[in-house]
This record gives sequence, C-alpha cells and structure tokens, in this order.
Amino acid sequence: MADTILRTKDLSVSFGALRAVNQVTLDIEARKFTTILGPNGAGKTTLFNLISGLYTPNEGRIFFRDTDVTGLTPMQRVQAGMGRSFQLTNVFPKLTVHENIRLAAQSYCKVGYNIFRDHRKFQKVNEKTEEIMERVLLQHRRKSPAAELTHGEQRKLELGMVLALEPQVLLLDEPTAGMAIEEVPTMIDIMRTTYAMGTTIVLIEHKMDLVKQLSDRLVILVNGAVLADGDPAEVSRNPEVLAAYLGGGAVHGSAS
Amino acid sequence: MDKLKAIGTINIRKTAALAALLALFLIIPHYMRNAQLIMFSRVFILAVYGMSYDILRGYTGFINLGQAIFFGSGVYLGVIFLNMQNNLGSFVLALGAVILFSAAGGFLLSRIVLRTGGVVAAAMVTLAIGEIVRNIAERWRSVTGGQDGLPLRFSRVALDPLFSTRVGGYYFSLAFMLVMLLILRAFILSPTGRVLMSIRENEQRARFLGYQTNRYKTIALIVSSIAAGLSGVFFAVIARFANTDYLSIQYTLNALLITLVGGTGTLYGAIIGSFFVTWIQTFLLDLNRSFPGFTLFRYPMLFVGSFYILLVMFMPSGIMGGIYRLADWYRSWKTKRVT
Repeated sequence: MADTILRTKDLSVSFGALRAVNQVTLDIEARKFTTILGPNGAGKTTLFNLISGLYTPNEGRIFFRDTDVTGLTPMQRVQAGMGRSFQLTNVFPKLTVHENIRLAAQSYCKVGYNIFRDHRKFQKVNEKTEEIMERVLLQHRRKSPAAELTHGEQRKLELGMVLALEPQVLLLDEPTAGMAIEEVPTMIDIMRTTYAMGTTIVLIEHKMDLVKQLSDRLVILVNGAVLADGDPAEVSRNPEVLAAYLGGGAVHGSAS
Repeated sequence: MDKLKAIGTINIRKTAALAALLALFLIIPHYMRNAQLIMFSRVFILAVYGMSYDILRGYTGFINLGQAIFFGSGVYLGVIFLNMQNNLGSFVLALGAVILFSAAGGFLLSRIVLRTGGVVAAAMVTLAIGEIVRNIAERWRSVTGGQDGLPLRFSRVALDPLFSTRVGGYYFSLAFMLVMLLILRAFILSPTGRVLMSIRENEQRARFLGYQTNRYKTIALIVSSIAAGLSGVFFAVIARFANTDYLSIQYTLNALLITLVGGTGTLYGAIIGSFFVTWIQTFLLDLNRSFPGFTLFRYPMLFVGSFYILLVMFMPSGIMGGIYRLADWYRSWKTKRVT
C-alpha cells in the first residue's frame, strides 16, 4: 500500500433521508490520474466535499498518506497537501488575476503572517505567481479583476490558484463545466502538464468521452455508491455502467 | 518606454500634490483661531480612529460595534496617566498602557466574536460588550468619575513644547496621523493585509488557500484596537476631559460615519471622512448660533441625519469612492475624445 496517497474507508453521509454518499471505499494511487464519473446527482461533489473537509461524514474515515485526516479542518487539509477546485467558480471577484494567484502563491510560500513588509517584495512569491500565470495562460489578463474574465478564464484562474499551492493530490471538480467548446482543449492541456509533473489528480466529470483518454483509472459513482472501478476502456464497456448512464445520456453508441 | 514615462510623471505629480498639501497643513495653523486649531487637531486624531475602523470594516469585512471601548479607554488612560504626572514620560506610559490594554482586549474580543460566526452576530455581540464596558465605567466612580467624567487636572498639558499651546497640539496631532497612516498603510500592504482583503472578498476561498482566517481576523482586530486606543490617548490631550460618552455606541457610530462618508477600503478616506463629520457638526451648530430666529436650525442633527442619508443613497462608496468614479469617468471620456 506504499503507493496509496489518499484513501477513503466506508465513507457515508446523509442529508435527511437521502444517503448522498454510501459506503465509498477508494484507494487513490499516487501520481495516477483517476476520474470519478457519474450522472448528475450521483454524489460526486458531495464526495469531494467530504474529502476536502467541507462536510463531516456520518460514517467512515479518510486517510491522506496513511494519516487519518477525518477530523481536520479544510485549511489543515490544504496545508497537508490536498488541493481542490470548485465546480462553481470560486475566486476573489474584485481582486485582479495577478492578486488572486499571488494570494495562493503567498500561502504556498508561508509568508502570510508577515505584518510590515510590502507584499510585492517577496521574490519567491512573485516568481511562483509568474510561473503559474504562464501555466494557466492568463499573463495577458494579469491586471483584470477576476469578475471581468470570461467564464473559461475564470475556470483557468481557479485551477491556477489550486496549482500554486503545489498540492500532492489535486481534486478537480468539473473544471470544464460551462466552458466554451474551443476552450476545453487548453484546460485538458493544463491538466496533462500538471499530471506529467507528478501530481496525483482526481477529476470529477460527467462527460465520459472527455476523460477516457486522459485517465489511468475510471470510477463510476451512481446514487452515492461505487458501481464500477478500473481500467477506463473496460469500465466504459461495462453493461451496468451503460445501463446506469442511459437516463443520464452521455455515453455514445449505447443502445438498448 | 512611453508608458513608463507616463507612470513616472503621474508619480511626480502625485508626490508634488501631496507635498503641497502637507506644506499647507504646516502653514495654516499660524493663521487659525484656537477653536479652529482644536477642530483640526480633532480631525487628525479622529481620522486615525476612522482608519482603525476601516481596517475592520473596509479591509476585513467585519462590523465591530464596540470599537468605542478602545477609543474611550484610550481617552481615560490618557487622562489618568497625565493626572498622575503631567509630563512626556507619563504620556508615553499611557501610550504603552493603551497598547497592552487594546492588544489584550482585542484578543479577548476576537475569542468571543469569532466563535459566533456571522457578520451580524459579531455586530450584535460587540454592541453588547461595548454597552457592558460603558456601564462598568459609569459605576466605577473612583476611577472614571462616573457620569461627571474625569477632567484633566492641569489647565495646560505641559508636554513642552508640543502640547503647551494649541498650535503645538495641532502639530502633534498631525504628526500622529501621518505616522499612523504610514504604519497602517504598511500593514494593509503586507501579506497579512492582503489576506484580510481576500477574507472580505470570499472567506471560504481564503480558507481553501490554506489561510487560517480566524487567526488573521484576530490580528486585524488587535491592530485595529491598538490604533483606536492610541487615538484615544491623543484625543485626551486635546479634549482635556474623559467621560463615558467616549465609550458609548455614539462614538462607535462616529467611526462608522467617518468610514461611511470618506469611503471604505482606502485609509485616506478616513481623513476626508473625519474632516467632514467634524466640520459639518461644527458648521451646523454655528448656523444655529448665527440665525437664532430659524426654529429649524435649532435641530442641527436633523440636517446631519439627512446629509448622511443622501450620501449613502448617492455616494454609497463614500467621497473617496465618488472621486475614483469621477476619475474613471473622466479617463474614459478623454479616451473617447481621442479615438
């Protein structure tokens, strides 16, 4: 189990009568690209909220690098090396692109508690900020307030802020959601580069065609439980998966 | 290259304008009457008090309705220490005491307030704590003089040569404001200050960047409390009197008004706000005196209130916000004319 970086064990959470996540046990391997796929309402984002600490599970535990992190706050998990992006764009709308990313870089460089030195004078933070802006292709927008960006650019900014934290595990919640089609390839490129640099990626998606070539492993989540788990090519041929997807309707070439 | 030059000229112009303004402030006291000198000294000191409030309201997005606790305590500590010994050493001791008191008080307040979570809850809790402190001060006659207040025992504060005259008081207040402006500006521009802005924008996101937002809010509260306390000590020397009004919600609202009028999120706004709030109150009181026949002028607060309502309706981001908006409008108008 030396290569498991993130592990959930019998993870469950209920909202009233709805069991949104039901006994999910997952071992996420380090430096692999894992995609969690499922129709809308399958509990994907809820699972992420549990892993990242936004929700507390009713049952089960979460382990990060063999340490139990179930009781930690979101920020403690971020500090431990778990980064996540949000499905709904979550940035600082009135601050510039540069400042948004700089704040993330500043957190990574751990200089937040510096009270009297000008924030522009931290060489390491500035270098990191430039590097990340280059990686997410937003240098030309550095002075724009985040609120003025296009939706696609905001998604990239959001991703950039997570990347600046240099997480060991990157939890990405539908990074291409709502993006214009022509912008999707650049987003995939950014994910590919990040993956190639040795970051473990866990991606949430509901479009199967997007992730099949990208992922090392595909986990299908339906009604809060794992339905199938394994090699992308195999899983996408699994009849149960196809059946589950018929109502959600994103799989090509499936017929009854 | 041209762009660089343009930025250079703007900076030179800005520096020149600031230098001229400073020179003006250094010269005018010699042409002022005592009442005006006192008014200006109050403006400078209350500007710092307004800045302390702006750190919370404008930069952290936190409404503290107990800010007067620290201002009022500063006034009391100033009077008490100067009554013990009327010299500069005693004044410095008062400053030291108020820093310790405000730091401890700000920390305690943060422990209580940050537990409750929301902005509204925090406002209510601080309001209650402020009233508790004022009530204690009112009953604790042996120290505070109760409702009679506590006058400075010396007719002149003999911190020669700075405070022995009203002109000296003016310069001392001006210097205090400038020093505090530089310190607080450095704080706002520091990494910690930037994190505070991010908390105002989106606290949950700040947490997901790994920032322990409650710790940062505690720092903001402590810095703000210390600034408010220090302005209180200086105010004691100008007012030469302490009473529980300085601890009351009225004085917290004064700080709120200063930031409301001047504009939040810009420390300079507090200077403009302080000037306006102090001036309009004096002006309307004078109006009543100059036109004793008009019944309407007997209720100056009527005008003050209406003025604030109009201001919030038409300049929701304060005078500084209005100036920025005008500047933006002028710039876009200029580029439109060029093209």
